[in-house]
Amino acid sequence: MKSNTVAAGLAVLGIVFLIVAALYALGVLQLFASTSSGPHYKHAILFGVLAVASFVGANFARPKKATYATDRPTRL
Amino acid sequence: MGLLQGATELFPVSSLGHSVIIPSLLHWSFKQSDPSFVPFLVLLHLGTAGALLVLYRTEWVAIIRGFFTAAFRGQIENDNERLAMLLLVGTIPAAILGVFLETRIKSLFASPYEAAGFLIANGILMLAFEVLRRRAERRSTLKEEEFAQAERISFRAAAIVGACQALAFLPGISRSGVTIGGGLLAGLGHQEAARFSFLLATPVILGAGLVEVPQLFSGGVPIGEYLAGMVLAGIAAYASARFLLRYFRSGRLDPYGYYCIGAGLVSLALLRFGL
Repeated sequence: MKSNTVAAGLAVLGIVFLIVAALYALGVLQLFASTSSGPHYKHAILFGVLAVASFVGANFARPKKATYATDRPTRL
Repeated sequence: MGLLQGATELFPVSSLGHSVIIPSLLHWSFKQSDPSFVPFLVLLHLGTAGALLVLYRTEWVAIIRGFFTAAFRGQIENDNERLAMLLLVGTIPAAILGVFLETRIKSLFASPYEAAGFLIANGILMLAFEVLRRRAERRSTLKEEEFAQAERISFRAAAIVGACQALAFLPGISRSGVTIGGGLLAGLGHQEAARFSFLLATPVILGAGLVEVPQLFSGGVPIGEYLAGMVLAGIAAYASARFLLRYFRSGRLDPYGYYCIGAGLVSLALLRFGL
């Protein structure tokens, strides 16, 4: 799915994930955490990875000329 | 414990299940609720991840390079770049489920009886994967070596195989078993499914280990003994991975399925009668 709208949406999502990661790392956000105080580095790293994935996805979603053959697999 | 964890982490027989059942059967004195047990597990996992990194060192260099190249270009142009993105897509569901659900699920099913029950379920799953695979082979008339390479599976399949890893939070269900089985259903050959499973496991095992590293520096941790456990886990994992890759050139999951069912039933009997 190549479109500037999708790319912009994914970039915004990446920024949101970065903010959530920072909030978990600073111990401000406690949502879905096993303890109710202190920083949650596992959650922070997860949202950091999600942010990176979103930015990568945004870059992929920008319309450009395809050069690599992406054969569809046969199963699943 | 190091040898046990390293060997069973990659075999489709559940390391977590064995690490819950065997200490109970052998009446080993340590408790998994002990604060010093978590750092021990962390080092064992780092040993296993280290072994996988050594085994696939050249591939990982190409995958990491491929990831950055494709990410900045915004386009996939070769198999290494595609594999890097497949691994990213496969790792994310496992990471999300791991961070939010792992502790809750493990604490719900930590007893050896439940682990033995899930070990039997794991065996049935392995046999079911092979039944479905044989059916696919009959339908398509493809030979083992004609099934796809890991780089050719779809991103949806990679995400589903990655999400299957979450089943391994149940003690007794094998991470490598469900990912190899998922790979088979996605159209991979057995050896390629094992390779994809090992590549997929590396960031998860390494990440889970590295996050817990600060716990190693808490007081009362016998670091020398734990490091010896890590080295043994690494050696066992390396030997297991080499064996499995060779085995899956022609072997199937069935023997592991029968082993899990048998081991689960024997464990249940031994636990029940207090032997």
